[in-house]
Amino acid sequence: MVERGPLVLRPASAIPELCGSVELSRAWVLACERHPQLATVIAYKGRRADVAARLKDRYALSLPDGPRRATRGASALIGLGPRSWLFQRETGPALEPELSEVLGDAAAVTNQSDGYVVFRLTGPRVRDVLAKGISIDLHDRVFVPGCSVGTTCAHIGVILWRLEDANDVSVFELAVFRSLARSLWHFIEESAAEFGLAVTPAC
Amino acid sequence: MRIPCPYCGSRDLSEFVYHGDAAPKRPDPAAENASELFYTYVYLRENPAGPLRELWYHASGCRSWLIVTRDTRTHDIAGAVLAMESAS
Repeated sequence: MVERGPLVLRPASAIPELCGSVELSRAWVLACERHPQLATVIAYKGRRADVAARLKDRYALSLPDGPRRATRGASALIGLGPRSWLFQRETGPALEPELSEVLGDAAAVTNQSDGYVVFRLTGPRVRDVLAKGISIDLHDRVFVPGCSVGTTCAHIGVILWRLEDANDVSVFELAVFRSLARSLWHFIEESAAEFGLAVTPAC
Repeated sequence: MRIPCPYCGSRDLSEFVYHGDAAPKRPDPAAENASELFYTYVYLRENPAGPLRELWYHASGCRSWLIVTRDTRTHDIAGAVLAMESAS
């Protein structure tokens, strides 16, 4: 018998060593990996109004009724489907137990923090990178900050949303199932190679 | 072909999974003639030329079942509603 210690899971970066990385000053596309807390909220039949009221009360967040992203402080709610949302929070105490308590019997709350990897992409050519994998119109006037979408990128299922611009440059985030993250990263790396890609934690 | 998803908007066919005619209802497995009913339900399907109400699953979008009214001759789509909000 081999004595085994407790299983220790360490978060592994989905971004392997970058092949074609360029200096920050020469990069037209910037990328980084984010580690927000995530939980899906699925309202039980006929309980949507309760979910909306409780989230409004506790977090001052309005439940989006379409594929959009509502934010308040460090918290955000992303519309995934007619009765389902993704709750995203960058900081604070454990999200899922807290949400379960707030929503109680009105919704199914499931921890997704380790289920998804979130990539943040920005830079002057970020739309050209995404256009090679995504068949959604991401034009500046169509897909404005606060829009979100569930779709495929390079045949990989993603949830994509646009944040507020930073320094007049568009910022997007893509959430992808963790086991597919390296495949999506491969696409991002290949697609951005012609423009110059830099990985920077501060993007 | 593009399908007008009531939640996501107009989306490419590749995001959807086709299920077929929305009319047949799953029979009661406890019925006396259940095997006959299931044979009819599973195998004996109409193949109409013209408008048909069909079930489509928006697998890569909002993960919802839709009822899409599609003309089987032209692929013209008259409309789409969420199955959860449809009477049948």
